[in-house]
Amino acid sequence: MSAPAFDAVGVGLWTMQSTAAAPASPTELYEWFAEDAALAERLGFRSVWSAEHRAWYDGWCPALLHAQAFAAARTERVRFGHAILLVPQHDPLRLARSLATLDRLSGGRVDLGAGLGHRDAEFDMVGLRRDRRGRLMDAALDTMAAVWAGEHGDAPPAQSPGPPIWVGGMAPQAIARAASRGHGLMLPQTLRPHELRRIIDDYRGQAGRPGTVGALRDVWVEADGRRAQEFRRKVDAHFREEAGSWWVLKGQVGFLQPEQMDRQLARIYDTEVVGPPEQAAEELNALFAAGVEFLVLRVNFDFVERAELREKLHLLAEEVVPLLEPAPAAAV
Amino acid sequence: MRFLVEPTGVGDLDDLVAAGEAVRRSGLDGVLLGATPLVSAPLVAAAALAARVEGIRIAAEVEVGASHPIEVAEEAAVVDVASGGRLILVATPAPGREDRFGEALDLLRTAFAPAPFLFEGATWRVPAGLPANEHNLERRARLTPSPVQPRLELWASGAGRDAALERAAGFLAGPDDDPRDLSAAWDRAAAALGPAGIGAARARREPWDGDAAALVARLRAGRAAFGQSWAVVAAPGAAAPALSRWVRPRVQTDGLPEGLEAHWDATLPR
Repeated sequence: MSAPAFDAVGVGLWTMQSTAAAPASPTELYEWFAEDAALAERLGFRSVWSAEHRAWYDGWCPALLHAQAFAAARTERVRFGHAILLVPQHDPLRLARSLATLDRLSGGRVDLGAGLGHRDAEFDMVGLRRDRRGRLMDAALDTMAAVWAGEHGDAPPAQSPGPPIWVGGMAPQAIARAASRGHGLMLPQTLRPHELRRIIDDYRGQAGRPGTVGALRDVWVEADGRRAQEFRRKVDAHFREEAGSWWVLKGQVGFLQPEQMDRQLARIYDTEVVGPPEQAAEELNALFAAGVEFLVLRVNFDFVERAELREKLHLLAEEVVPLLEPAPAAAV
Repeated sequence: MRFLVEPTGVGDLDDLVAAGEAVRRSGLDGVLLGATPLVSAPLVAAAALAARVEGIRIAAEVEVGASHPIEVAEEAAVVDVASGGRLILVATPAPGREDRFGEALDLLRTAFAPAPFLFEGATWRVPAGLPANEHNLERRARLTPSPVQPRLELWASGAGRDAALERAAGFLAGPDDDPRDLSAAWDRAAAALGPAGIGAARARREPWDGDAAALVARLRAGRAAFGQSWAVVAAPGAAAPALSRWVRPRVQTDGLPEGLEAHWDATLPR
């Protein structure tokens, strides 16, 4: 079942959103996540990935470790990652213990994707300044390492010295943070191969102990041109809602900066992988060739229907992953 | 009387699930999870248990007050949603932060309600309205997802007793708490709250050494002394049948008809 390429591929992203475009029962979303994780496991994927936000109208999951505990209890091998978990918005001691508990209960199946978060409303809700987020991240990483080492009297996590950490983002500080601490990188989905190569070279050249390089990619395996365009249209609407409401572009949210927003959406259009299996594999192999060692393939969005999602997971596993050529030395 | 089991002898997730299954099969109300070396985050374990055992209530005892209560509220809401509305959140004051506990309970309950809110307490203001967060347009915060339960079942334990009782929340007493103190505390609350205080859980942790008759006697005394309505029994899952077949029938009603206990003794396995 598990060709080597499966070790270099996870699928995402589960967010538990019930949006205006695609309303859903909140409880069913968690049930579906557990079912989807079990399917991903049967198909051979190494991991399933989730993303966090808080305080939005659509119920976006603000407590990923709890959602993952629910799904981990119904699976045996598949790992659970974050792309990403907003570390600075959590209390470090509580986060360390929640991660350790999930790691112990799941038999060591957690990958912590540690990101900063960007939305002022989220920091404000938990009483923090967004501009302190880098310092908060460093302090949290220190605290987590100390808790997992037993310095607060806790039992150790299942994985030693703790769940592997992937630092999210592409800013120089993120790259330096990951390299100096010996953590992996999780790069965003909108980078082109030559941009990835530049960042990865920078990371590999840092002092410290650079780890594994992961990257996100939006992927839709679809041979039919009309249906492929329909997917692209839905992705555009999905990110327009998010960018229009949240992303600060030239000092204002996207809906007030339509030209800036169009530029961001064009980048998403350019980098999403949409097409028949051979084409999808070719585009993904270009990312491996650029130095990416692990790919999180985003196939799940709020607007993706259940049957479609399961069909696409099958297509990825059966027709795309066998064509992938990750670097043989990928030590994930 | 309603029954939760606080499972002992749990070494991994399978042990926890086995205990939960035993509770479900016995028709008891649910499981309580406190902090242990395996489970240093009881709400995470509550989510895992909910995925494997249907129907039962799942109580999680969580320290509150050392960190921002919004984080606890979000985690509780997610577990309540994932479990289909089965969570009982048992808040216990973080050591050294007992002074903040009442405010933390107020913030939890404000956040669980579905309306956008501005909470202005002595310790926490939500949203904080920090000038540095210049792109925050929210003057009211909203916790999402909303819990499934319209009013999420919220108890306190430990040193949180008086703060909880003042707010008509449930309270989980310790096994050695003086029944007369408990009685006096609930009487004060009833006098202060009037009808608003009706129905809050009056729970106590109960030891279990296999002596069902002794537990029956304790529960009858608890009910007489302070109106005990929930028993939280620290026991292995294997004790669930004894609790449901022997203990519970004897404490569900105020008294039993002459001869019924003798009938049970004669016809039911011990």
